Amino acid sequence: MSRAGHWAAQPGASVVNVLMANPESKSSLIMPGEATSTCWSCGTMRAVHFCSACGKVQPPVPVNYFTFFALPRKLNLDTALLEREFYELSRKLHPDLYARADQQEQEWSMEQSSLLNDAYRTLKDPIKRTEYLLRLEGVELEEQSKTATEKARATGEVKKQVVPPDLLEEVFELNMQLEELRMQKKMGEDDPALIEELRKQKLKFEEKYEALFEELKGYWNQWDKLVDSGDEEARGKVRDQMLDLLNRRNYIRNLVRDVNEALEN
Amino acid sequence: MSYSDKVLDHYSNPRNVGSLDKSSQDVGTGLVGAPECGDVMKLQIKVNPQTSVIEDAKFKTFGCGSAIASSSLATEWVKGKTVEEALQIKNTEIVKELSLPPVKIHCSVLAEDAIRAAIHDWKKKNNGVAQNVPATTEARQ
Repeated sequence: MSRAGHWAAQPGASVVNVLMANPESKSSLIMPGEATSTCWSCGTMRAVHFCSACGKVQPPVPVNYFTFFALPRKLNLDTALLEREFYELSRKLHPDLYARADQQEQEWSMEQSSLLNDAYRTLKDPIKRTEYLLRLEGVELEEQSKTATEKARATGEVKKQVVPPDLLEEVFELNMQLEELRMQKKMGEDDPALIEELRKQKLKFEEKYEALFEELKGYWNQWDKLVDSGDEEARGKVRDQMLDLLNRRNYIRNLVRDVNEALEN
Repeated sequence: MSYSDKVLDHYSNPRNVGSLDKSSQDVGTGLVGAPECGDVMKLQIKVNPQTSVIEDAKFKTFGCGSAIASSSLATEWVKGKTVEEALQIKNTEIVKELSLPPVKIHCSVLAEDAIRAAIHDWKKKNNGVAQNVPATTEARQ
């Protein structure tokens, strides 16, 4: 309630910044805000972007990207529909349409446009969409890692590493080989066997990378079924599995990128 | 983003790069990774079995300049300390020493994790006791 009032007091505050900043809690991302729920112009219950009664552009409220497009917080998403919505809204928010509007409306339409672009870019990409949802669900990778380290320091307990040790070993080994290759190239030497080996490894990791995406889609289905169930424990479990998968995927992505660079140079 | 002079110094002239014999009874190995950036860091310590003093430390890090500098500094700092003293090194001290910007704090966390993982490995080898029982660590804050 008080937060809604806080937002109402600063209608010009950039919602984009609020959404991009690391949310301290889930609630900072989901604030429909009673005080801003009527149209500033005609007083009708407002929609997120335009008043349904008078059609005036509305000051952006800090809603999450799913709410911005009136979508449920699900991961299987009709991207064709999303795209149509995006173009429709882009057209309606076009600066040319507001050239004669007052300054405040011009600013709001610009902020809404900017929010629209960010929301669209985030949701249309399957990985970004998943990462965004995890953030909404309270996942703060870096913060959680720091807290776990502090806990380990204070208690003497062992910190659980988020990346599986065997993957770390593989990544480390492959990096050693890459370094060797770079060194050889610098010296003008050529080791066809090493290059062949790296190519083979790269293929293996690329297959893993693809397989992880398929696995992720399986978690999407689980998540979407659970999203309205109120089963917090099951939701938390799927959330953590997705996080774990994306962590592994990051490693493999970087690794393949580095192998490609080393082979090409 | 520009690196601080100290980061640049460690990056262009890293201390203690290399490896120790992983299978040696006196050597502890920590291999950790930061999924935020895909960095991977290996830190090894050689511990005197009589005094528990860390006599040597080596590292090998694949990652950004800050990650390399953090692990390079970590090896410098653990050398000459007892195992229990080394467990007290805080990532925030690394941040301060290297003037790491907020986006690179996770590099310092990784270095602290690497120290702990190496010590844990050494303890496991030598006492056969996993250090997941809080009461077994002496120095606590």
